Parts: sequence; C-alpha cells; structure tokens
Amino acid sequence: MKKLKLTIEGMHCASCAANIERAVKKVKGVKDVVVSLMTHKCFIEIENADEEEIKKAIKKVGYKIADIEEE
Amino acid sequence: MRGMSAEEHRHMSEHHHDIPIEEKEMNSWRKKMFLSWILVIPIAVLMLSDRLFGIKIFEENIMRIIILILAFPVIFIFGFRTIKQGINGLFTFYFNMDSLIALGTVIAYATGFLSIIGIVQDYSGVSAMIMAFFTTGKYVESIARGKAGQEIRKLLHLGAKKARILRGNQEIEVNISEVRIGDIIAVRPGEKIPTDGIVIKGESAVDESMISGESLPVDKKKGDTVIGATINQDGILYIKATKIGKDTFLSHIIKLVEEAQGTKVPIQKLADKITSIFVPAIIIVSVLTFFFWFYFTKDASRAIGIAISVLVIACPCALGLATPTALMVGSGIGAKNGILIRKGEAIQTMKEVRTIIFDKTGTITKGKPEVTDIISEIDEKDFLKIAGSLEQVSEHPISKAIVNEAIKKKIKLIGVKNFKVERGRGIKGNVKGKNVLIGNRKLMNNNKINYRKYENKIIKLEDEGKTAIIVSANRKVLGIIGVADDLKPDSVEAIRRLHQNRYRTVMITGDNEKTARAIALKAGIKEVIANVLPEDKEKKVIELQRRGMVAFVGDGINDAPALKQANVGIAMGTGTDIAIESGDIVLVKGNLTGVVQAINLSKATFRKIKQNLFWAFFYNIIAIPLALLGTLNPVVAEIAMATSSVTVVGNALLLRNKKI
Repeated sequence: MKKLKLTIEGMHCASCAANIERAVKKVKGVKDVVVSLMTHKCFIEIENADEEEIKKAIKKVGYKIADIEEE
Repeated sequence: MRGMSAEEHRHMSEHHHDIPIEEKEMNSWRKKMFLSWILVIPIAVLMLSDRLFGIKIFEENIMRIIILILAFPVIFIFGFRTIKQGINGLFTFYFNMDSLIALGTVIAYATGFLSIIGIVQDYSGVSAMIMAFFTTGKYVESIARGKAGQEIRKLLHLGAKKARILRGNQEIEVNISEVRIGDIIAVRPGEKIPTDGIVIKGESAVDESMISGESLPVDKKKGDTVIGATINQDGILYIKATKIGKDTFLSHIIKLVEEAQGTKVPIQKLADKITSIFVPAIIIVSVLTFFFWFYFTKDASRAIGIAISVLVIACPCALGLATPTALMVGSGIGAKNGILIRKGEAIQTMKEVRTIIFDKTGTITKGKPEVTDIISEIDEKDFLKIAGSLEQVSEHPISKAIVNEAIKKKIKLIGVKNFKVERGRGIKGNVKGKNVLIGNRKLMNNNKINYRKYENKIIKLEDEGKTAIIVSANRKVLGIIGVADDLKPDSVEAIRRLHQNRYRTVMITGDNEKTARAIALKAGIKEVIANVLPEDKEKKVIELQRRGMVAFVGDGINDAPALKQANVGIAMGTGTDIAIESGDIVLVKGNLTGVVQAINLSKATFRKIKQNLFWAFFYNIIAIPLALLGTLNPVVAEIAMATSSVTVVGNALLLRNKKI
C-alpha cells in the first residue's frame, strides 16, 4: 500500500473535484482517492497501480498535476 | 531580529518563482477579468446606445461584425480554459460546471453569425458580457477562497528555513533540509527554533502560540523538548535535533489539517449527489425550455435567450462550495488555536453528543503524579530504596513519581531481577533477594497478602484524592506511599462551562473508587467509573453509548480503542502518536479548555455549513424557475450565478469572527 499526495491545478468547482475522484478511481490498483477542492490536493492510496495511468486519467479530464509526493 | 528579516528576505528572493496555487489562480482570473472588460465595455456602449437611445453608431450588420470581433477574444482567448474544460467535459461525459458556461456562451456567440443572415436576434455581445461577469465572479471568489485558506497556508510557511548548527567550535548556517538528527543547533533570541529537539544548554522563554495557541511563553531549560517553528524569546538555546523534515511536530500538524480537508461531512452528501447529476440535467432542461418556448411563441430569439439564461444561472457552484469552504475556515481557526479537526464528520457528530467521557490521568489531571505521603514501619530511606529500585524499571507515571522521590532524597537505587508488570494492578520483582510487590489492593488480594493494618491509612489517602501504593516484601507489607496527581489549572472552569451547556460529564479511571471520587469532586464531575482496566475503557464507552452519542477525551496509548469507539474521539496532544492517530479532533495544547473550544468550533462550523447549503439550495430553487419563465435576461442570470458563489464563500469567511 502506497500513499500519494498530488497537487492539482485548474480545479475551481466541486464537480472538478468529483470528476477527478471518479476518473482516478477507475484506474486499476487505486484503493482510495480523496480530492480536496480547497487545498488543491488529491490523496490517493494505491496497491500495484501504474502511476502513469493515474497521471493520464487526471490529464484526460482536463487538470494539471503541479506536484507529486509519496508518503 | 535584523538577522531574521534578512534571512526571510533571502528566502523570499530564493522562492519568488514558487507562488502558491491560490495566488496563481487569483492572478490569472484578475488578468482575464481586466482584459475581458476592456473589450466588453465598448460592446456594452455599442449595444446600449442602440437599445436605449436608438443611436446607431454603425450600420446594423457592421455593428454585428464589430461585436463578433470584440467578443471573440473574450470568449475564446480569455475564456479558453473555461470553454476547453467545459467542452471537454461534454464529450467525455465528465460534466463540470464549466460545461454550462461554455455551452451558454458559445451558443450565444454563434447567434451573432445567425443574426447576420437574419435568423435570430444577436446574442454575441451578451455572450461576452456573460464571460466578463463570469471571470469577475471567479476573481472575487478566488480572493475569498484565498482568505478562507489563510490560516492553513500560514502553517505551511511557519517552518524555519535556516539553522545555525555547531561543527566543532564553529557555528555554520545551513538550509533546514541539511540539518541531521543529532546536530546541535544554536538559537538566538528572536529566532525561530529550526526543528524539534531537546535543550542541551541554555535557558529561555519560548513562544509556542503558533503551534498550541497558548499565548503565554513557556520556559525551557536543559532537558526540555522544544518544537520547531516556535520562537525563542530571551536567551540563547542550544538544542539537539531529535526530529527533522516530515517527522517534526509541525509537519504532522500540517498533514493532519491538509488531510482533513479531503474528508467528507455527511450533510454534504445530498449536495454532492445533486451536483453530480445537476449539469446533464440542466442541459436537458435547457434544451426542453428552448423547444417549449419556440413551440408556444414561435420566437426563436426569445427561446434561445431563455435557454441561455437557464444554462448560465444553474451552475451548482454554490452548492459545491458550501461545505468545503466552511470546513476550511473552521479548521483554519482551529489550527490557530491548537485544535486540529481531523475528520469533517466530527463536526456534524459533535452536535448530537450529549455525554463527554474524560480519562482521568493526563486529561483532567496533569498526568505528573508526585509523592505526597510515605507511611512505613521500616526506615524511610530503606523503604524508598526497595520501592524505588523496583519502580525504576517501570514506565508508569506513578513509578516515575516514586523514583523521583528517591532521587530527591539522594537514595541509591539498585538492580532488580524478574521484573513483571501486572497491568492495572502493579509490579513485582526481586530486589536484594526479596520478592517485592508494589501496587494496589487488587495486587495484594490476588497474592493473598494481608494489608489490613494499613487499611485506615489507605482510606484516608484515598479520601484526599491520592492514590495509595502498597509496598510489600516477602509477603509482608512494609508501608504505603501516597501519590497525588494535581488537576490541570483550567479543568474546573472547563467542566463548569460544559455543565453550563448541559453536557453530561463522566470520568473514567483505573484508580479505585474513593480516589477517583475525590478527584472528580475537585474537578466538579459527578459521575465516576472507577477501577477500569485499560483494556476495558472501550467497553465502558459502548455502555454509555446506549444512551446516546458520546465524546471521549483522552491521551495515551491505552485510550486509543476508546477514542476510536466514541462517536467523537478527542485526543490530547501530548505527542503520543497512536492517540493522535485515533482521535477525530486533536488538541495540541492538551487541556480541557480545548475541549470546550473544540465543541464550540465544531458547532459553529456546522451551523455555517447548514446556512451555506440553505442559501445555495434556496438560490437554485428560486433562480432556475425564474429563468425558465423567461423573466431573467442572460446577463442578469450570470450576475446572479456569480453572486451566489461569492456569497457562500463570503458567508464562510464570517466564521472567522466567531469567538470560540
């Protein structure tokens, strides 16, 4: 189990946060994802997931990843 | 102090490229807003002079083309991100709130071309105005949102950037990231303590208000722990770094607060559900509206105008912002006062809580017991030598009190064999060939040791709120030690305030009934559950939960299951990580006033969330029908939309005026 903390640019409405949650959840190996609109942070719990897939999913729904941290 | 500002200045110039996202977005909206208005004002002049005064500055079709040209950059360049995001959402079925604005403005703009061939009225000027008001609303909203996150952002920038570490006899200044555990750091008066550590030389008062909310400075001397980011006030301190980077107290606080923003408040669920189907629903409604009006009025222009109004007014922005903004402001105020809200749910649950259960030791009391009485039939020094020698192996606070007493009396302690802890009872072991047992009545009873001779004295100590520790060697009682743990200075007042607000308070402890009652009486608590073994605290919480929701306030590893079991777990932050992990709310300062404040803050924040949701729902319930009925001009619809989001964020900001 690994935890990722992403900083995301371009979110400005609750539906943005919900869309990112929905898109990332679909990536294989993602156990949990929580997006905070207010702090621009996205917390993801993964197990054997391809991080590139997650990045792609977020880009696909139209948001920019400013930073990725591993915990 | 001058050194500080120079250091901070250097930091500023080093990191000027590292602008926070909030600021970046605010700047970008501001730019878009100004540029939009530069083009929209001439459009407005052209349109209004025609409509209001009938003055045609240009011939009709030329005017249409001029407006189309002026409006183009407003929508497709300054509004590029919004349009792209929105259209992207439409095609991928990840609808977002931009989808509505994008559809509304693009359709409105397209009418400009259609009007040239005479099909419908020209709304292209209107589309630019909508976008201008949209960016204006977003700009104001981004300012307000920046304010909402101010307290939390302050935490992020609280840490020191540099440290002066000792290498041999030399002090060298290094970046904070280069500090290693074990480094000795010199901290001059007025400087920030760079990282968590322990004082090895020097004495000073330290301002910890930024971490704990405690306004009075705390005295530090050799052996005391200091927290990074607090400010050394009047003496030079030499500290040894014990924690760095992600492991520091400040980093933990930041992590807790940040993660809390991602947790959900249950009341938000309905709003989330509505938001998720809102956008596609509104698009359908808007299409239906167009056909309905077109069918009944045969006026395509009017039908398009109304459909656009419906699209732009129906942004569920306010609904989506209602909860997170209030939660953010609430937890920001909390963080400033040393109250860390870890789970959004706690805010809502707190409202239902009627019973508050307090752990005794370290929660109501200081958790630093001291020996007050020594009653023994043998020489006091010999007695303390036996007791202290065995107790020095144990970690229990009472053991420490006894060991301290022995040290104070300059008694040399000796080694022990076969040491064993009997949880909730006491300890045993072999001292100088004697089988020594130290503990409470239960321990003596279990081992069939007769202590009747001391019973009266034990009762007397207990009536005074002291814990009586029985010391025996080779099955014979040598004497008893009275240990008292004073109340924290604010406990009485905090309990009084809770009673004033009609909370039921219960104290839970492993102490015997008499001692527990005496302490509870001092604190003003009427209900006491005594003789509870550490592992049974959770069960007692379950029993109390049968009569309604409870909050449990405690610290220490023993309390973790009880904190988890309670509807709201309030952990006293004394640095015990496990307890902090299991608390829904963590009190950095760890006193009972914090409990009262946490309750007030939770209630105030939840009230704000409810207010916000009410206004957001109210807005949509009123505004959408008005738009459907064709009573709102599309520009007015957009102004209303922008106002609703700004109002919600602004209302959340009002929470900052709340005294907790």
